[in-house]
Amino acid sequence: MSSAPLTQSGPEPPGGGSAVSAPAELRVEGLRVQIEGKRILEGVDLRVPEGEVHALMGPNGSGKSTLAYTLMGHPKYEVTGGSVSFAGEDLLALTPDRRARLGLFLSFQQPTAIPGVTTVNFLRAALRSQGRELPARDFIRRLGEEMEALRMDPSFRSRYINDGFSGGERKRAEILQLAMLEPRLAILDEPDSGLDVDALRTVAEGVRRVMERNAGRMGVLLITHYYRILEHLTPDRVHVMSEGRVVASGGSELAHRIEAEGYEPFLDAFSSAGREV
Amino acid sequence: MTDVTVAEGAIARRRLGTLVDGGPAWLGDRRTAAWDAFTALPLPSSSRDEDWRRTDISKLRLGDFAPAGPAAEALVAAARARHARALPQAALVLCGPDGAVSVDHADSLLAQGVIVCPLQEAALRHPEVVRRGLSAVGVDGAYFAALWNALWAGGAFVYVPRGVEAMTPVWVSHLAPEAGAVSFPSTVVVVDERASLTLVEDRVGPGDAAPRLSVGVTALRVADQSRVDDIPVQQLPPGTWHFATRRAALAAGSRYRLLGATLGAGLEKAYWDVLLEGAGAEADVLAVCHARGRQHLDLQSLQLHRARDTRSNLLYKVAARDLARSVYSGLIDVERDAVHADGYVLNRNLLLSRGAVASGVPRLEIKANDVRCGHGNSVGHVDDEERFYLMARGVPAEEAERLIVTGFFADVIDRVSQESLREWLTALLAVEIAGAPAAEPEAATEDAAEPGGRGS
Ligand SMILES: Nc1ncnc2c1ncn2[C@@H]1O[C@H](COP(=O)(O)OP(=O)(O)O)[C@@H](O)[C@H]1O
Ligand SMILES: [Mg+2]
Repeated sequence: MSSAPLTQSGPEPPGGGSAVSAPAELRVEGLRVQIEGKRILEGVDLRVPEGEVHALMGPNGSGKSTLAYTLMGHPKYEVTGGSVSFAGEDLLALTPDRRARLGLFLSFQQPTAIPGVTTVNFLRAALRSQGRELPARDFIRRLGEEMEALRMDPSFRSRYINDGFSGGERKRAEILQLAMLEPRLAILDEPDSGLDVDALRTVAEGVRRVMERNAGRMGVLLITHYYRILEHLTPDRVHVMSEGRVVASGGSELAHRIEAEGYEPFLDAFSSAGREV
Repeated sequence: MTDVTVAEGAIARRRLGTLVDGGPAWLGDRRTAAWDAFTALPLPSSSRDEDWRRTDISKLRLGDFAPAGPAAEALVAAARARHARALPQAALVLCGPDGAVSVDHADSLLAQGVIVCPLQEAALRHPEVVRRGLSAVGVDGAYFAALWNALWAGGAFVYVPRGVEAMTPVWVSHLAPEAGAVSFPSTVVVVDERASLTLVEDRVGPGDAAPRLSVGVTALRVADQSRVDDIPVQQLPPGTWHFATRRAALAAGSRYRLLGATLGAGLEKAYWDVLLEGAGAEADVLAVCHARGRQHLDLQSLQLHRARDTRSNLLYKVAARDLARSVYSGLIDVERDAVHADGYVLNRNLLLSRGAVASGVPRLEIKANDVRCGHGNSVGHVDDEERFYLMARGVPAEEAERLIVTGFFADVIDRVSQESLREWLTALLAVEIAGAPAAEPEAATEDAAEPGGRGS
């Protein structure tokens, strides 16, 4: 097996991201991933049915971001085993842009700045690529509304994307993209880290709004360390990752236990991966 | 005179003779001195001449190029369309390759006392100012400048009198010669004390790849406390050998801003010299270059600080792809009297293909005390993380790359203050970046005299 392709020929599945009929379920089975020869994911199993909110927790370095990047198709991550499907497609065979057009979205833990590319041009290019270009006036109006809801200064429209943005501004800009692109599954990699209480509420409400607008059809895989954001976005399921595996899964009460007891009990206790607690 | 070629000494001398006879005596002397200097100089050589070390023109045969005839109507229309789209309010000076010049939309400038006219006419009617302008460019120094000094015809002349802020910009179009011909585009600008001017100089030709030769000079004299915005755009046909000198002499307290775009020609050697001659003079030189196919584009810049408290800043951003080659060298030269000089030169290169090459050599030469000078250069590729970020939003790899390259140029293009001009430049760049098929240079064989043919 190898890393995700960056260029691809051959026909695009009909309809791009918008009109695919298979349910937008994510299925990860036995996923093994290495970076530069170093094994990071050691067989991850995970299923996120359409429209559900799943939280993914676990200590630093357990492989959460690696999973997120791998799902999105970052070329640095080499898949050495297992399978991933989304909306019935073999995700691992697709370039990152096709995955996005299939309805996958990743809110980056550390989004990249692209000097010279304004937020407006970035978003227009993204919408155009996804076959969902809006007339200029509608686009500007929508963008204005979303930015206001996220309490972003209008000047961010013409600023270069993420360039010189503070940590909090980057998080908001990621959610702004989520709101404009309305994916079928949003992977949010620590959208709450480094935010103060007010900013966290703004970000969480931003995600909620998109979910509600899509009548509960957008799924969320929310990577976080903190219980607080889960108070805003109640998860259907909570998974705990450790050393490249999902070691425990449960209902939203699992997040409570982690908040109270830390990760230790789950890490010590695990013998077989994916234990139900 | 279609059989006349510049290299066939005797005949060229006859052409020189008509130019000398048709102009004022002082100019005739200048032409003759320049011709003598030119004939005494050998063709610049990459083994002998430091300036030409990385640009080999040994295949250039001046004798292959005939003097240009009048511009084709389609080219005139194309040049007018560029002006109309980018900066319709500007006065338009159309300079044909044969020396024919027409001036339009200049009424409001003329009413202000600004002179906008053919350079040859100005040499007769305003000899003193023209000599001031021309004095920025010596007749005997460099090979191509000497050739130009001997044989230029036509050209644009602009004079802004003291205290006058030119109400509208001046747009000078230099039209490329026809296939197999040579032209000598000329622009001379004098901006007097406390005056200001915006100049656009557009070099344009048809899209075919036939060999052509263009040897040009732009001379600007910027007097005390005046301001000049200088916007050269070079989009010559891909088979063109282009040799150009652009020289701005800045007096005390003046401010010069160059915003340039180099997109065309097959082989170019350009000198951009800024002479900071008066105390407190300031210069900002910001330019983009996009090279593709087998283009070989060589820019050599000079920031010469001759007086105290002078400031200069140069940023040159190059993107090269296919088998294109960019060569840059830049010198900040601070003379003894230029105390408190502040100079910076930065060259950034983005390589988009394996076969593309870019080299930048910024240098400092400092003979004064208490100065602040610096230089930098970089060569890089499209950043994988930037590409992935765009792709993760659904943008295909090729378009992601185009957006990133466009973004690379943005910090220069964004400084163009006229919106329509900025949009036009953005559109020109977009076409280059998207790589609409450029014609391959004709007769691209080993021994043909085509420029830019040394891709390997
Ligand atoms: N680019 C990389 N090169 C080498 N090791 C990496 C790279 N990215 C992540 N890792 C390693 O992979 C492991 C998992 O990291 P990561 O997925 O970022 O964890 P988490 O997001 O759970 O904190 C860590 O040991 C980390 O050091
Ligand atoms: Mg992480």
